[in-house]
Amino acid sequence: MKYQSQKVAMPYFVAALVLFLGQIVFGLIGGLQYVDGTFLSTVLPFNVVHMSHTNLLIIWLLMAFMGAAYYIVPEEAQTELYSPKLAIITFWVFLIAAVLTLLGYLFVPYSELARVTGNALLPTMGRGYLEQPLPTKVGIVLVALSLLFNLTMTLIKGRKTSLNYLLIGSLWGLALLFLPAFYFPNDTVKASYSWWWIVHGWVEGDWELILGALLGFILIKMTGVDREIIEKWLYIIIALTLISGIIGIGHHYYYIGAPEYWIWLGSIFSAMEPLPFFLLIFFAFKIFSQRRREHPNKAAALWAKGTPVMALLGAGIWGFMITLAPVQYYTHGTNFTAAHGHLAFFGAYAMVSLAIISYAMPQLRGREANSMKAQHWEMAGFWLMVVGMISITLALTGAGIVTVFLQRAAENPLSFMQTDHKARVFFWLREYSGIVFSMGLLAYLTSFFIPGEYEYSEETKKALNN
Amino acid sequence: MQQIFTKAMARNIFLGGAVFFLIIYLLLTYDTWQKIPERDHANLMTASVIHGKYLVDTNDCIGCHTINGEGSYYAPELGNVYKRRGPAFIRVWIPAQPTGAPGRRQMPHFNFSQKQLTDIIAYLKWLSNIDTNNWPPNNQG
Amino acid sequence: MSNNFPDSTTQQIAEQPLPGDLAIWIFIAAELGIFAILFAAYAITRNTHLELFNAAQARLDKTYGYINTILLLTSSYCVARANRYIKEGKITLCTRYLIYAIILGASFLIVKIAEFHNDSLNGITISSNLFDMFYISLTFFHFMHVIMGMFILTVVTYKSYRHKYSQTDHTGIETGGAYWHMVDLVWIILFSLVYVLH
Repeated sequence: MKYQSQKVAMPYFVAALVLFLGQIVFGLIGGLQYVDGTFLSTVLPFNVVHMSHTNLLIIWLLMAFMGAAYYIVPEEAQTELYSPKLAIITFWVFLIAAVLTLLGYLFVPYSELARVTGNALLPTMGRGYLEQPLPTKVGIVLVALSLLFNLTMTLIKGRKTSLNYLLIGSLWGLALLFLPAFYFPNDTVKASYSWWWIVHGWVEGDWELILGALLGFILIKMTGVDREIIEKWLYIIIALTLISGIIGIGHHYYYIGAPEYWIWLGSIFSAMEPLPFFLLIFFAFKIFSQRRREHPNKAAALWAKGTPVMALLGAGIWGFMITLAPVQYYTHGTNFTAAHGHLAFFGAYAMVSLAIISYAMPQLRGREANSMKAQHWEMAGFWLMVVGMISITLALTGAGIVTVFLQRAAENPLSFMQTDHKARVFFWLREYSGIVFSMGLLAYLTSFFIPGEYEYSEETKKALNN
Repeated sequence: MQQIFTKAMARNIFLGGAVFFLIIYLLLTYDTWQKIPERDHANLMTASVIHGKYLVDTNDCIGCHTINGEGSYYAPELGNVYKRRGPAFIRVWIPAQPTGAPGRRQMPHFNFSQKQLTDIIAYLKWLSNIDTNNWPPNNQG
Repeated sequence: MSNNFPDSTTQQIAEQPLPGDLAIWIFIAAELGIFAILFAAYAITRNTHLELFNAAQARLDKTYGYINTILLLTSSYCVARANRYIKEGKITLCTRYLIYAIILGASFLIVKIAEFHNDSLNGITISSNLFDMFYISLTFFHFMHVIMGMFILTVVTYKSYRHKYSQTDHTGIETGGAYWHMVDLVWIILFSLVYVLH
């Protein structure tokens, strides 16, 4: 860590991980409710568990991205952050707003929450991932503006690098793309169409740029490969992302009331969305293979290489499975979507967040890498979470297949409830997989409490003796 | 051809490509915006329908259900429930929840007035007439 | 102790293999790939909707298409001439022929706009029927590429006018020219498939 102000990243990373843990607690509850619908249903109806699970996901990822930006931007710009104090104040505002919102979900009936938070003034509540009350949404915008102001001022006064432009530019994009959250027309079709500006615009567009920037930074720092090469490949990858993904948004427009031509345009362009993920794997592994030294943070290297692979699996492969219109005709609104969503979100965004935390956290704690003991716990966490998430995905895919064959494509279709009852073995498998995933998360969190720095002399001795 | 593909070229392709496709998307959106009111019979969006939508939104129905495939996958599709079950069934079903049946997924109890139920049903009816390119494949949603 | 690798300088670029050719081929592949997929989708759909496609195709006024084909072919020829001139060190002639290419490209755009206008008067839109959807999508997508190509040509022409290119250093003209030829090639395939073949 070269600049004192990079320290402000620490609370963001810590909060991110605590919120991640919270997200998984709700995930386990919701998964159990799938197989025993009466579990906690009076105090925690499924929809409350669901929105807590998804909102916590988004908040912890945003915390991680912000922490990453506060860490990366000063180092790239070779100057202290413009205002560390502002970053800390913003952190508390964000955290408190998030906690209050969560408490609102848990303890206040949603329609009542809408009433007391002024939803009637400007309706914004009721869409997926955008369940937040109006004041929270305004708070998110203010937090984002504070972040952007701080980072942009830092960029202006310091060294300009492509990576910094990319990272800060995509954070501007993130903020701008959130603004449609305030536009909720009466026309449901228009509401759906514009909702995807945020959701697709973020996860299949802007956030892929953030992912590239974070991965690029880790590669520059850990391998010593010339940044000109890394930054050039980053531009190629993100170019492909937008070239495929902008019209690719059409793969959300087939069956929601939009015109028919989206069936063709969406299918053709979204079919190319996996391309940047293939390149990302090639990019990460090639750059690592050209490294000029052995960086002691093995865990971070594992996260950095694992991320593009899991991202391709979840976003690229599982996404491709459901992207073509004729297939989606049968899979739309089934657990195929949930399968893809889980693996993609985890593989791309959770993992890149954990990768940057893995790289930066030891630096923030005053060392180049943690002891191998701590790293082994961390890597165990990596593998358990990866295996757990792939199992969750396979289980949900199984449930989706049941739905397609018994409810959608059948001559004599069963009802939704009958079909999901038939699929209950898959929902049990999903829950067990979720428990494996949770074990992984706990192992991962434990690694932070294993003391000690990386011991060069010890590890060199071990290596020589082998 | 012999040349060096520079970072600047890659950056220009990124920026050029993004602007290029953004323009196309904006034009398509303009066309889509013109077409939507006819496809979803916006002229039939009465005050009752609009209020029904507000009730569906503020009670987070998509927290368990889907509308035209979007939402959560815990409970049945509502986009065509009007055609699947009819208004009379819906009017009786909603206030009767939860069933309390052991192990079965539970729907919360909503204290809707008859007027509110009328509005919700009006919205569900309006939803069922949107031209969704023949989706869902059958009545079960 | 210094923690991580300091950022390398451009001096070290020479030491590492630059994947330059691979990168540009990725983009050429992507461009041609998109059009290939679009053409393939058109061809396959045509097979299952033969009558509709033939009937709808007959509504198109091929005159616009023929004129545009000549305009683009001539424009490509001018770009090729310009490239030859710069290789001979004749900068002024190079610039002149690039300007001819731009004028011809602009003419294509004007004719195409006139055609789109005529189409809309005849009820040919992106939603009128399946053939029209392909026709409008394909030609508009190509139209956008012509605009992009015009933009690139303009930059190249300006630089040529300012004597930024020489006999030995004119990769900009080659790259820009290659893009323009690709746009021309795509048009020829498009015109044959969509306007003519029945």
